[in-house]
Amino acid sequence: MAAKKKRAPSAENDSWVVIAADSATDTQKHDSDPAFVRLRNPSTDAASLFMLGSGDVQLYEVKAFEEDFHSWFVGQTVQRDGRLLFVTAMDPLFLILPYLIKSGKEGKFQPVDQVVMDEEFPACSRLLSCTRSLASLHHIADEKEVGKLKFHRYSGEKTMSWLKKKVERTVAALKKRHISVGEGVKSSTYVRVKSESDHNEEDYLRYAHGLISEYISEDLSKALLKHLQLPELTSPKETEPPSKKRKLSDKPVEAGEDYTKFNSSDFIRKPPKKMTTAQKSLAKVDKTGMKPMSSFFSPKAKAGKQ
Amino acid sequence: MDLSPFESDNSVSCRLASQVPDVCRTEDCCLGIDEAGRGPVLGPMVYGICFCPVSKKEELKGLKVADSKTLTEEERDNLFEKLDEAKSYVGWALHILSPNTISTSMLQRTKYNLNALSHDSAIGLVQYALDSGVQLKEVFVDTVGPAEKYEEKLSKLFPGIEVTVRPKADSLFPIVSAASICAKVARDRAVKGWNFAEDLGEVDADYGSGYPNDPKTKAWLLKYLDPVFGYPQFVRFSWSTAKTLMDSKGPTVHWDDDEEDGEKAAQRLNNKSMLSYFGASAGGNAENLTHQTHRFFTERRLRSLDSL
Repeated sequence: MAAKKKRAPSAENDSWVVIAADSATDTQKHDSDPAFVRLRNPSTDAASLFMLGSGDVQLYEVKAFEEDFHSWFVGQTVQRDGRLLFVTAMDPLFLILPYLIKSGKEGKFQPVDQVVMDEEFPACSRLLSCTRSLASLHHIADEKEVGKLKFHRYSGEKTMSWLKKKVERTVAALKKRHISVGEGVKSSTYVRVKSESDHNEEDYLRYAHGLISEYISEDLSKALLKHLQLPELTSPKETEPPSKKRKLSDKPVEAGEDYTKFNSSDFIRKPPKKMTTAQKSLAKVDKTGMKPMSSFFSPKAKAGKQ
Repeated sequence: MDLSPFESDNSVSCRLASQVPDVCRTEDCCLGIDEAGRGPVLGPMVYGICFCPVSKKEELKGLKVADSKTLTEEERDNLFEKLDEAKSYVGWALHILSPNTISTSMLQRTKYNLNALSHDSAIGLVQYALDSGVQLKEVFVDTVGPAEKYEEKLSKLFPGIEVTVRPKADSLFPIVSAASICAKVARDRAVKGWNFAEDLGEVDADYGSGYPNDPKTKAWLLKYLDPVFGYPQFVRFSWSTAKTLMDSKGPTVHWDDDEEDGEKAAQRLNNKSMLSYFGASAGGNAENLTHQTHRFFTERRLRSLDSL
């Protein structure tokens, strides 16, 4: 994150400002309290914070609204941390999926409680207690029942159609909430007047795909893009001019860079930078009668005449 | 002088005015402008105008109104009484700028400095006199900033009125002295009977003159400094005296228009150091690996947490 100027090291918070669904804090039906747990983030493979509701029946993701220069006034106290935490319901299947994919490489049917195990994140086995977990495993895995025992094996095909459905539902939600999805829109608060006709279906699909990709691995995201029959966009990295270094060769020298492409309309002009006080005062200096700096570097024509 | 309109809400500005004498609507009048309480860190700044028919200038002199600074508080009060008794030909109006107005004007995003605030108050009062039907022909002002510029500004705004801006106008022209007395009396009363909007319990009213160099004022400022909120609205936050004390005794408060420059600002804006462009290309590849959060979340400043 951006470095903050001269702020004291942030002290441990003993309170947070949270927006959560009623279900997240409801402890009536079950005896255990809701708990924050660290689980493997399927998209980054690193630790992320989640919450398990009372009795582990529902999974919630935790997102923080965080912007510089915010603080809270809470009752009669000030909280310097201006964060706003959102605890929102989440499908536990997204977190179970990476474990199934990993064990699926062996190609065997296995009991899920042996699959969803992680030394680094032991809490992951609690995901299976969620009401939706076992009941919806068939969306991403083939099932086999032997006696009273159930065995599962990851199915790429099923997963793709499950993810496709997720994308479609997300598209519907995006449309319902009038979320601007066009490439040209840079601000979430900017709402176009002619919103509906302006965005085509592909914009919505791509946006929804991007959102779902926050919850799946990069490989899966790419596979999903193909499954949705969306062409891959060239990343901005590749459109950068090639490195100036060139190997020596016998071939005739050609222009290595095409500067004309910077004349296209998407070339963004940077806003003029603020000047420092010193620069401001320099800019105000009366320059009449002063030679430009460049004049000192011109060829010495006069010297030759002497 | 009845200050109750201001005292009922001393967080905003307020205008008080006398009845406009009938002669002022028919005869050519002169008007004086002066202020009180420009320098103090405590209390309001008061702008005052006084006007009377040009023909009554001598009578005004007879009241022996003089520069308010040379008078004691009691003498000023007496003189104001005399002015009030002369209401058949003398009118006055006041514009009280609360300390809160001064603080918020000077500290807002687009700075509105004290000189501009003063000029606008003076202009507002002259306009009030004109709107009330006073036949203005001459205006005398004690200067704020360079006298010529101010005079030019006022002349342009009020064509047809002869504007005279002079330093020390309050000791040169009786009508300005009269205005200065009105302003000073109002300021003294406002400060003395200050209603604190904040719940401070019994407030120690011994704050001295309110000028930053008064030891009593300094001691009061130290006593009533809240580490988080700073001061009650009675204090002008934009005064360096108040700022310095808040900076040294309280936690630092950061605003997003704080001036920052150099490396810190560059860091905050995530600007790359020039050096990074000359490093080995391995650095560039590492960046590719980092996960880019979807714009739905970045636009809403939402991010995942790995711990609380």
